[in-house]
Amino acid sequence: MAWQVINREIAAAPADGKPLLTEEVKAKIARFFPKYETRRAVLIPALHVVQETFGNVSYQAMKEIGEFLAVPPSEVLDTMSFYSHFWTGDRGRKVIVVCRSLSCQVMGHEALLEALRRHLAISEHETTPDGQWSLMTEECLGACEHGPCMLINERLHAKVRPDDVARILADPNCDKE
Amino acid sequence: MAMIIINGRAVECAEGTPVLKVAVDAGFDVPFYCFHPGLKIVASCRLCLMEMRSKDPKTGEMVWSPRLIPSCQTPARDGMEVRFDSPNVRQNQRAVMEDYLLNHPLDCPVCDQAGECWLQDYSMKYGNALSRMTEPKTVNPKKSVGSKTLLYQDRCVLCSRCVRFCREVAGTNELCVIRRSSYAEIDAFPGIPLENKLQGNVVDICPVGALLDKDFLYKQRVWYLKTSKSICPNCSTGCTICIDHNNGRVWRLRPRTNRKVNTWWICDEGRFGWKYVHSNQRLLAPMLKGARVTWDAALAAAQQLLAPAGKAQQGKGVAVVLSPMMACEEAWLLAKVVRAAAPQATLVTGFVPKASADELFPVGLTDQAKAKFIIRAEKCPNRCGVEAVCKALGGPQATFADFLAKAKQGTFALAWIVGGYSQEWVTRDCSDALSKVSQLIVQDIFPSSLSARADLALPSCAWVEREGTFVNHAGIAQPFDRALPPPVGCQQDSQYLYRLAGMEGLYRAEKVREQMLDKVAELRDLWTPPAEARGMH
Ligand code: SF4
Ligand code: FES
Ligand code: FES
Repeated sequence: MAWQVINREIAAAPADGKPLLTEEVKAKIARFFPKYETRRAVLIPALHVVQETFGNVSYQAMKEIGEFLAVPPSEVLDTMSFYSHFWTGDRGRKVIVVCRSLSCQVMGHEALLEALRRHLAISEHETTPDGQWSLMTEECLGACEHGPCMLINERLHAKVRPDDVARILADPNCDKE
Repeated sequence: MAMIIINGRAVECAEGTPVLKVAVDAGFDVPFYCFHPGLKIVASCRLCLMEMRSKDPKTGEMVWSPRLIPSCQTPARDGMEVRFDSPNVRQNQRAVMEDYLLNHPLDCPVCDQAGECWLQDYSMKYGNALSRMTEPKTVNPKKSVGSKTLLYQDRCVLCSRCVRFCREVAGTNELCVIRRSSYAEIDAFPGIPLENKLQGNVVDICPVGALLDKDFLYKQRVWYLKTSKSICPNCSTGCTICIDHNNGRVWRLRPRTNRKVNTWWICDEGRFGWKYVHSNQRLLAPMLKGARVTWDAALAAAQQLLAPAGKAQQGKGVAVVLSPMMACEEAWLLAKVVRAAAPQATLVTGFVPKASADELFPVGLTDQAKAKFIIRAEKCPNRCGVEAVCKALGGPQATFADFLAKAKQGTFALAWIVGGYSQEWVTRDCSDALSKVSQLIVQDIFPSSLSARADLALPSCAWVEREGTFVNHAGIAQPFDRALPPPVGCQQDSQYLYRLAGMEGLYRAEKVREQMLDKVAELRDLWTPPAEARGMH
């Protein structure tokens, strides 16, 4: 690991020449223009539109958003990566979000996270090869009295012990209320 | 003007100057990372915090503010009082330093920045020797952010100076901060690396060992380097630089702060443009008709060539081509030497290498007045100086093009031609024209078709081996020092010209300058930028 060097002279994925942002997607983004003073202010809505359309915001998409809004690609990356809500790579059908804030930490979020990592064989901000599961951590989920807790898509699971993991994940409806 | 009190001492300053700058300029030792006088203020590093007493807008009373305040972001106002030495301030400095070192690998023994690292210095002065951290450290990746620059993220303090430089000065936006808080890293968009022409500056302004110059990496420990003050010869901007060298070798060039000329920056053309100095192709000995001779023999031969040519028609058939790579003093000495033998000799300002256009930064700008940095199209340091010398000496003059045209018609019997360019400069046109000149004395760094056919070829020294004065595009005259001795076998150009001019002893630019003063007005006001307080460079 020690001497691994990431080379930024190389593009993330060779562009196949076909633009990702179709006229339709661009039109959706353009609908925000009248609401803001500048085009660059539309960056966040644009990121939402793109993630809703494609499931993630790839490097190619970032470049095209940059071009469309006259924002350098590095600044698109800068802004987008600030929010863990946006995904560069593929996001699984079910996203597990483990709370890493104080109450949950005290109640054992690390053991829970470790159990999930082991069960799914992925680490944070990764997706299983079958595209079913993604794992990430977030700050306080607003259910501090029930720590440690986690979200699966929109559903909150409270007071999760590491040995509950297998049972919860086996339930096909674990992400539904 | 405003008067403010820092640590109990009254300091005068311009109203509105950042308090941090006032304090550092006045000699107070305040730690900081993110502030840089050439970049926008972000107040993100939190090291420069101070206690402040100012007028309460409601009551008009002077009150100490209840919390610490970033001094870099606070404009100085008359009557305000600040402290950098209170227990609260000290406590903050210790805490912030501890935070910066939490995940730092403490790899100073293998870090290029060691010896000039602000993290090292501040740790000594404001930090703790022991870390209380028992958890494993975050290990971040290393990144090649561009062909010339490496990033060791582990050592980064996220001051964002590099990012702001790319956005505000270069205008190329390659660097950014990805993610946030303890996950944050400096990065470049994959496939759009740091490749602007000013990028070497990000290594200079990185206060720690995070951004590294691949060219200098692991070459030298900085405490073994000697520094000489010089002027970059690569274009007519004339940036002031430091030459870091030892044992007869240059290792790197750095900008020297100069508000009048280059502010805090230099371009990569200049920064990495010194490699030819150590080329093994250089002319290293005087050659008389193709044979190596001693310096005594060479100088005698020069006199012997000049004397008869100078006698005929008062020397009308003699020309001396003064290269814009020469210092004013050298041009003056050579012109004097030639004119002494041939009073009507023609003075020519030599070949001026040119690129197609000036390059303005931030990239995309077209208004010179708004530019933060300009790489000039004229790729030589002293056209203005050489022209001024010629003008001061009067008599027959010619431009380089005129000279070639006249030479083609066989006007000249003898020409003394100076080159000194880092690249091949003799064009077909030039050598054709000069084939009509019967005798040639050529003074150059590298051999060329001219030096090969010259009656006498004299080796020139590179600018790092010389001293003198360059006058830049705007007429600012700046002296430069010698960094290295001439290579074995060579003499400083000015030294042999000095001898030919009949002067005794060792050449000193200053002595020659004195003689020139009443003739060359340009040299009356020499500009040497004042040294700036640490970190304000
Ligand atoms: S790489 Fe250097 S200049 Fe850039 S943010 Fe890190 S410490 Fe600051
Ligand atoms: S700390 Fe985990 S939900 Fe608030
Ligand atoms: S916060 Fe003032 S210098 Fe960084």
